[in-house]
Amino acid sequence: MIGTLLAGKGIFFLTLLLLGIGMAGIIVCENYMKKLICMNIMQVAVIFFFLCLGQKNGGTIPVALDSVINAADYINPLPHGLMLTAIVVSLGTTGVGLALLYRIKDRYGSIEERDIIRRGKDKQ
Amino acid sequence: MRKAIGIILICAALILPFVFFDVLPAIGDPASAPNSHVSDYYIEHTESIANSPNMVTAVIVDFRAFDTLLETTVMFLAGVCVMIILAGVFKTDKRIIEPRSKKMKKHKKGEPVFRGINKDVTITVLQPIILVYAIYVLFHGEVSLGGGFQAGALIGTVLLLDAMAIPDKRNFPDITKGTSAMVAGIGTFIYALAGILTLVGGGFFLEYEKFPWSVAAAEQHSIGILMVEIGVTLGVAGTIVTIMNAILEKVKFDK
Amino acid sequence: MQILSLEAILLISLIVISLVIIFVDDLMTAVVVYCAFSFVTMFLYIVMGAPDVAFTEAVIGVLSTIFFVMILKSIKRKTKRKK
Repeated sequence: MIGTLLAGKGIFFLTLLLLGIGMAGIIVCENYMKKLICMNIMQVAVIFFFLCLGQKNGGTIPVALDSVINAADYINPLPHGLMLTAIVVSLGTTGVGLALLYRIKDRYGSIEERDIIRRGKDKQ
Repeated sequence: MRKAIGIILICAALILPFVFFDVLPAIGDPASAPNSHVSDYYIEHTESIANSPNMVTAVIVDFRAFDTLLETTVMFLAGVCVMIILAGVFKTDKRIIEPRSKKMKKHKKGEPVFRGINKDVTITVLQPIILVYAIYVLFHGEVSLGGGFQAGALIGTVLLLDAMAIPDKRNFPDITKGTSAMVAGIGTFIYALAGILTLVGGGFFLEYEKFPWSVAAAEQHSIGILMVEIGVTLGVAGTIVTIMNAILEKVKFDK
Repeated sequence: MQILSLEAILLISLIVISLVIIFVDDLMTAVVVYCAFSFVTMFLYIVMGAPDVAFTEAVIGVLSTIFFVMILKSIKRKTKRKK
């Protein structure tokens, strides 16, 4: 009962909830550093969604064994390969985001959204 | 308040079609659409064609090698971007918050800053172990878990430990950010060179069976995978060291 | 069934941790809790049978936490509260 509910919609519902929380964090938080952390949270939800599609009941991990020949006995390796590179690239995007954060701090003296908007209005 | 209404609308728009329609397959179904078309080909031919028992490595660097070339380029470009963004001369000294230990007492040069654990000995013992594990993961990546990306991240971790633990005394030679960006570029070039060599041999781009030297097809796949993984390792490690050096130039830690 | 239940428990803990990250005031706490987040994520990937992805996530989570802490030296730790 619980198993079919989780396999059908439960896991996907929780994943979408995590995605929504990350998106809400990006919109609500006024600190730019928290926005970066929330972006990473959203990314984890997307990666988990992709990995869910590759699961198989009763499958082993995708490293070939001599005793197992059937293709249905291995977990699908294609989402793993795609998402592994996505995780590594996320480090690069985090680095670029942090560099921009440092430039904003140096230019405006603060990383709070409200202060930066006020500073921009004063200059006009 | 307007923000809250917007968030509720976004979440509802995400969740409602999912609740009312069966758009997604059930988890763990072996006959679902993502598990039935192209992945069976990858699983069945990974040992006979790519000569590597680890299917994830085979998918990344053999069957879908062109994707990974562009991902490595993205990593290299991210490192160069960080270097360019943080390269300007701007007034940094006013903004740095003075650490508390700097106000309280001065440290001698070469001493570890934190006194609780002897980090000098700990880091010196840990570094070679991580480095050996990184080399193992690199060269053994097609048989067991691991590969180029993990090995590059581990080597980056070693250099980062070296820079962070004791700022004045380094166990490894000091790499500037220009050198590390160059290393990342060399890694990306090695990856592309594998493709160019297959073009010279008369095949398609990154078709490993057409390398210009003549050995068995399985060994040629192994040589291609190893070459590509070395390139990926250099690219990722160089990018991590570039980002670290670019940030460490601007942010002063207590010495 | 057991794997799916374990995944659900880990996902709920991930949701709780991300709520903590959104509502906490101190940025250092947020970054350290983000490290815990990536650790739970690694465990989730191991449970669902992707050890390669879990290995990568373990290394990359630590590295991005260190980058956050390095930048945190040059900005204020406390966030401003809403009025």
